[in-house]
Amino acid sequence: MRDYKEFMSEILIDEGTLQKRVADLGAEISRDYQGKNPVLICILRGGMVFLVDLMRHITVPHQMDFMAIASYGLGARASAGNVRLTLDLQTDIHGRDVLLVEDIVDSGNTLAYVLEFLQTRQPRSLKVCALLDKEERREIAVPIHYRGFVIPDKYVFGYGLDLDEYYRNLPFVAIVDLEKYQPPLS
Amino acid sequence: MQDYRKFLDEILVDEQAIQKRVAELGAQISRDYEGTDLLVVCLLRGGITFTADLARHLTIPHELDCMSLASYGVGRYSSSGNVRVNLDLQTNIESRDVLLIEDIVDSGRTLAHVLQMLRTRNPKSLKVCVLLDKKMRREVPVNVDYIGFDVPDKYVFGYGIDIDERYRHLPFIASVDMRKYRRPAEAGQG
Repeated sequence: MRDYKEFMSEILIDEGTLQKRVADLGAEISRDYQGKNPVLICILRGGMVFLVDLMRHITVPHQMDFMAIASYGLGARASAGNVRLTLDLQTDIHGRDVLLVEDIVDSGNTLAYVLEFLQTRQPRSLKVCALLDKEERREIAVPIHYRGFVIPDKYVFGYGLDLDEYYRNLPFVAIVDLEKYQPPLS
Repeated sequence: MQDYRKFLDEILVDEQAIQKRVAELGAQISRDYEGTDLLVVCLLRGGITFTADLARHLTIPHELDCMSLASYGVGRYSSSGNVRVNLDLQTNIESRDVLLIEDIVDSGRTLAHVLQMLRTRNPKSLKVCVLLDKKMRREVPVNVDYIGFDVPDKYVFGYGIDIDERYRHLPFIASVDMRKYRRPAEAGQG
């Protein structure tokens, strides 16, 4: 497995900037949900790191839960159309204040589908917190109530985001030089 | 919602001690797995905080996957000790070096069962890293390769570990004074 420095084009958001923004978002969410007991929902696996750090900055009582989804059909990077739920929530969100925590919003297709799905369970409120917003790629309008950073249409990795399942642990968000990057053989 | 300070018995491991130990474990695991193609498996949901922090201290490239388990029947364990897989691994672990990450081991039943199940898939190696080891509660022998802290037989919370699904976000590990703790209405029985 190769060192990421061999194919990293640049660090887009460094660790200090990320941590500061996550703390700000946590403070903002804590103010907005004062007196409430929100359920933070993380879609596996990309949102894990962001969720864990964000949670530590949320001062109001809250719960967390997970969902895992997969796309129908072939192609790991194709994310249009319906998605299949591979892990459902353990929590009944009926009448609850729900905050969906996402690592990145790209086309918005998956997020739109998940929101529609969650809405059928009648939460009291349903909001979205996304660390990264690749606005240029949007194909469908989705609400983002808390946004970490708007980023350009580049292939990014680190801070929960993977490159072929690796490098999620890097504490910063970086851009891949696709000319230098080779997917692992498996 | 009760403020945790109202039922906190004592802080067993403070934030600084946790972060220091997690960094040490990360360094040790990075040395031990140098040159391998490591797969880190996080057991949801308790293990998520530990995994997210530990992974950031791993200096070797690795893959991350998650499993979610539940028990059959009423209560914590069914009589058979069997564990139900809610979310299985996305990764094929055959011939892989696998490191399972858990927040806490007490009886060892769940862990023993998961290890047995994962071994049937023929990983090259299978090791376990737990943040907290409640050794006094052990009912089944399990080999734990990396241990963060030994803890006494007390009800603990914080740093990913919940009480009735709450307080996972606290940056330290504390014990609960059960006489002072009130269960939330929606938690129900059990």
